[in-house]
Amino acid sequence: MSAAAVSVSASGLTHRYGRRATGVEELEFSFEGPGVVAVTGANGSGKSTLLRIVAGVLRASQGDVRLQIQGRDVPRGLRRTRVGLATPELAFYEEFTGRENLEFAAQTHGLDAPRAAAANALSRVGLESRGGDRVAAYSSGMKQRLRLAFALLHSPPVLLLDEPGSHLDDEGRAAVREVVRAERARGLVLIATNDPQEVQLAERSLELVARGLGDPA
Amino acid sequence: MPNGASSSWPAVWAILRKECRSEWRTRYGLNAALLFAVTSLTAVTFAAGPLPDRTDLLSALLWITLLFAALSSMSHAFVRETESRTLLMLRLVASPTQIALGKLLFNLLFLGVVLAVTVPLFLLLTAAPPVRWGPFALVLGLGSVALAASSTLVGAVIAQSRSRGALFAGVSLPLLLPVLAAGVSGTRAQWDGLPVGADARLLGAYAVALFGASLLLYDHLWED
Repeated sequence: MSAAAVSVSASGLTHRYGRRATGVEELEFSFEGPGVVAVTGANGSGKSTLLRIVAGVLRASQGDVRLQIQGRDVPRGLRRTRVGLATPELAFYEEFTGRENLEFAAQTHGLDAPRAAAANALSRVGLESRGGDRVAAYSSGMKQRLRLAFALLHSPPVLLLDEPGSHLDDEGRAAVREVVRAERARGLVLIATNDPQEVQLAERSLELVARGLGDPA
Repeated sequence: MPNGASSSWPAVWAILRKECRSEWRTRYGLNAALLFAVTSLTAVTFAAGPLPDRTDLLSALLWITLLFAALSSMSHAFVRETESRTLLMLRLVASPTQIALGKLLFNLLFLGVVLAVTVPLFLLLTAAPPVRWGPFALVLGLGSVALAASSTLVGAVIAQSRSRGALFAGVSLPLLLPVLAAGVSGTRAQWDGLPVGADARLLGAYAVALFGASLLLYDHLWED
């Protein structure tokens, strides 16, 4: 698939959880794909919040993120079809196998060949041999691989990876690097991380400096 | 890549199948519902004996049994997603309306199974008078749709609140009272040889109103 013309931008983006705690504050940025952007910042600076807003599962308190594919705005309600999100908050049905979880997601996305899509995604993260095991039996590293597979399942032009290397062994981290290398050529990848090795995968970066644990607003 | 807004029904269908498969594997709701129905009916008939001439009590007993048997599971349709943290996954693959419609269809199917077990058992244990099957099925069917629509709506609304249990009871009560009242009244009327049209119309209109309100609300849920 050829690279999609992708852009993600924000102006005056602010999100508050409750009255005092701030997720992100007055954020301005504009990134065009293809390429990789590292989103860095202290714990509590709003990296995960930003990715959730871009994915359309969180509405910003003020301002918004604009996602454009091939020059067309993607409304917030349809962003899930154009964005793949892998975040530590993502959990799967433990009574299903990893493959069943992905096939369900592929069917719900309306993909033409859910089984093939699930098999391909599992293979890309090195989880094909354990795809038939129930998620309840997965280690934290295997669950992290499954999150990556879930994000890749529908071949989205925008990939959002939140701490993608967490819980992964060397082989898993290599799989992440391989995924990022492949996806940077066909779309935009945003990696929320403070891991220097993951930051090195990006050619651009966005540092969130507004708030952290040391400044609870 | 997904085809966006045009793929509503495949998503609803996929969620319905997921719910059925999950229930089949965990038996989370069905066992609880059937246990409640069987034990409450057995206890009441053991204590009071057959009640063939008390159509008022029989109607109330039937609807109370159905209500609590069904609610023990249906109220948890969304709460389970929140507590197992799978709601984010669902939201990343489907719209809130698609999710809620899939859950509503599952709740209807679930109620159908509960009815299929509970009603014959009820008629047998209470020695109830012969039912007029047409009006009886009409009242039960429309009441079930209204029950499923209200519990799905309330479940979706309270899914992300902290005190879900207390909220469910508080929000459900005013929504369920009309269903219970019309259900009991219609069921009694069919036993007493009276017309059930007014109760059936009320149940039908209420179910349609709840469903319509739900469709307007669902896409505004879970905005964090």
